[in-house]
Amino acid sequence: MKSPQSTVFALEQETDVESVFELLRREYPVHATYEVQLERCYLDTFDWRLYRNNRVCGWDMLDGSERKKSKGIFFVRDKKTSDCICEYRTDRAPRFSRDIAHRTCHRILDDLLDIRALMPVVTVAVKSRQFNILNQEKKTVAVLIMENHVLTGRVDKTFLAGRLIVSPAKGYRKIFMQLRHYISAQLRLPCEQFALLDEILAAIGKTPGPGACAGVSKLDDSLNTWEAVRILLRYLFQVMQANESGLRDAIDTEFLHDYRVAIRRTRSLLGQIKHIFPARRQVYFKREFYWLGQITGPTRDLDVYLLKFDAYRQALPKEIQKHIASFHLFLERHWKIEHARLCCELDSKRYQKLIKEWHDTLDNENIRWSQAVASLETINANKPVRQIAGKRIVKLYKRILQEGNSITLESRDEDLHELRKTCKKFRYMVEFFHDFYPEVAVRNLLKAIKQLQDHLGDFQDLCVQTTQLCGFAEQMQREGLADTRTIMTMGILVEKLNVRKSVIRADFEHCFKTFAQPDDKVAFMNTFGLQN
Amino acid sequence: MIIACYNIKGGVGKTAATVNLAYLAALEGARTLVWDLDPQGAASFYFRIKPKIKKGGKGLLTSKKTLNDVIKGTDYQQLDLVPADFSYRHLDLQLDDFKNPDMQVRKLLKPLKVEYDYIFLDCPPGVSLISENILNAADRIIVPTIPTTLSLRTLDQISDFCEKIGVARSKILAFYSMVDNRKKLHRQIVENPPADVPLLRTCIPYASNVELMGIHRQPVAVFAKNSKASQAYQALWNEIMSL
Repeated sequence: MKSPQSTVFALEQETDVESVFELLRREYPVHATYEVQLERCYLDTFDWRLYRNNRVCGWDMLDGSERKKSKGIFFVRDKKTSDCICEYRTDRAPRFSRDIAHRTCHRILDDLLDIRALMPVVTVAVKSRQFNILNQEKKTVAVLIMENHVLTGRVDKTFLAGRLIVSPAKGYRKIFMQLRHYISAQLRLPCEQFALLDEILAAIGKTPGPGACAGVSKLDDSLNTWEAVRILLRYLFQVMQANESGLRDAIDTEFLHDYRVAIRRTRSLLGQIKHIFPARRQVYFKREFYWLGQITGPTRDLDVYLLKFDAYRQALPKEIQKHIASFHLFLERHWKIEHARLCCELDSKRYQKLIKEWHDTLDNENIRWSQAVASLETINANKPVRQIAGKRIVKLYKRILQEGNSITLESRDEDLHELRKTCKKFRYMVEFFHDFYPEVAVRNLLKAIKQLQDHLGDFQDLCVQTTQLCGFAEQMQREGLADTRTIMTMGILVEKLNVRKSVIRADFEHCFKTFAQPDDKVAFMNTFGLQN
Repeated sequence: MIIACYNIKGGVGKTAATVNLAYLAALEGARTLVWDLDPQGAASFYFRIKPKIKKGGKGLLTSKKTLNDVIKGTDYQQLDLVPADFSYRHLDLQLDDFKNPDMQVRKLLKPLKVEYDYIFLDCPPGVSLISENILNAADRIIVPTIPTTLSLRTLDQISDFCEKIGVARSKILAFYSMVDNRKKLHRQIVENPPADVPLLRTCIPYASNVELMGIHRQPVAVFAKNSKASQAYQALWNEIMSL
């Protein structure tokens, strides 16, 4: 039998709390256990992963002078019922799931957080009193917790309505049901309708959800190319802006990753949908977004190496794993340098100019390329987007087939890389304009292209890593961070990656054949070709 | 992880060890369950829980009732208990009616292994089918051993018994319990442990606070946090966890 969940009652401002407890005492043996003042910091990821999964996570610290004497409590609770899922005492709130020493908490949060960091959402002052309902053996059979919350760190303190949380002890369902009935029927306390965190977020005016990264609204068939592309570019610009402060503060690696993906997609649109900007503007934006991709690259590369470090270590025989410890140190050191360099670039006049120009271009709905509007330079701007995008998708598909078919066992690694880039452009285009095509066909196509792309991506990553790791080893030697054993260990690692690279390379033909099956080609042309 | 606290002999501190170690595990935040398999119900008594389950031990083995249905929450967060029942004294006979009579406890515990980080089994003394079941189910077998000649002999017997039923000896973690340093024999045995049986370093002293658990009906660390007994259990738990 499933245990009942806690019930939360609202204690409105006019409720006399002492009278409530007095009445409860008359009916049940109530034992007061503690009364504390806490500071509670709610935590979640940038994209509200816990909230979206009905979880609340936070960090309770005792208020005032008591704080230094005791550890805080990190907790994970059910958002609706406030039931504790797990909690543990710790000196400081964890930032990443890897920082969570507690096994159960780690297991629960690891899947949800992945590589995202926990960030403070809001801090509240909590006054908490606990009372236990005891049976004849003086055993706790139900728990009552009364909490009052005050929003701190604001000009005016905001007091929220108090809450009485009634929790069952496992295996004592009957008494819990009686108690709950007594509180609602006799004491006439109403059940709380909203989760505490929702109430707090409403009070501070925060809206949980993906925010700027929510996705783009449905593209209408009737839009012209400039209108549709403007919607897409504005969305990508919002994603960039939403992630900028997180990447500057290095909260987690996803900020930079998402920022770079938005740049890549922007560049792809600029490159694929031609003749909607005057040529000079087009050249300027293409050049500047390329530059932005370049300056964010080194930090991202080092992020990837740091994320993959454990996998690299695991790939080595156990007895030599310790020899690449200094490689981690090297990566961390260089990451700091590259990140500082990136922040400088983001503060530069060049970047500020790009952002301003881009913002002005996209924000002005009625922008007209006055002198050039009728010229060839912006000839596509007023054409139906469906026509322009459709032609491009078909063209890219044909290019994938042509490039893929021309790859043999003797082909250079660069040829596979070119094919990968074409696949990426193709996928972005299909994703941008998927609204114009049947959902199932798009889903199947994206699944197929993703498999091919992943294959090519793995191959390209290994090509880069094998070269770059050799370069890192030399650099580490120059910086006095690598002795002979480290160099040899890195050599072994490169060798292992080379073996893996050969396996993936040999498998390319099969992978491409799976993508370019005759039936799928026909299906593609029927859906995307004929639609145009 | 399933941790059985077992000894052929009675009165060696099995229940005290189970209750205190389970409490310490839960205090660290691990989801912990104690199954009081001893019909005397001492662990249930310490947690102030009535040693009774609906339909008794037979109900667990034969009906659709699962262990999860009879679990009671203790007064401590993350720490639950399957209470004892007087009918457990017949569990041997009831187990014997099954096809794999020595694997039934393991089968009953299987669904709970995902819900709890640690499951402690407080075992009744003796060598029986229920002992066999418990030893088969456990990942670790902790054996409280009083430092006397007879107790060491018992430890050998447990070791042999494990081998006989195909349970790896390496699962056995013995430790000295109820060590009275006023007794010369205790001191001598602790200082010169037997070479053939590995023993944990930590010793649990013979302490009045352990006996007072029956008065307080709480783990030692709750009512005498800084006592020697409490510290010894903490050290024992740390040592077990470090293995």
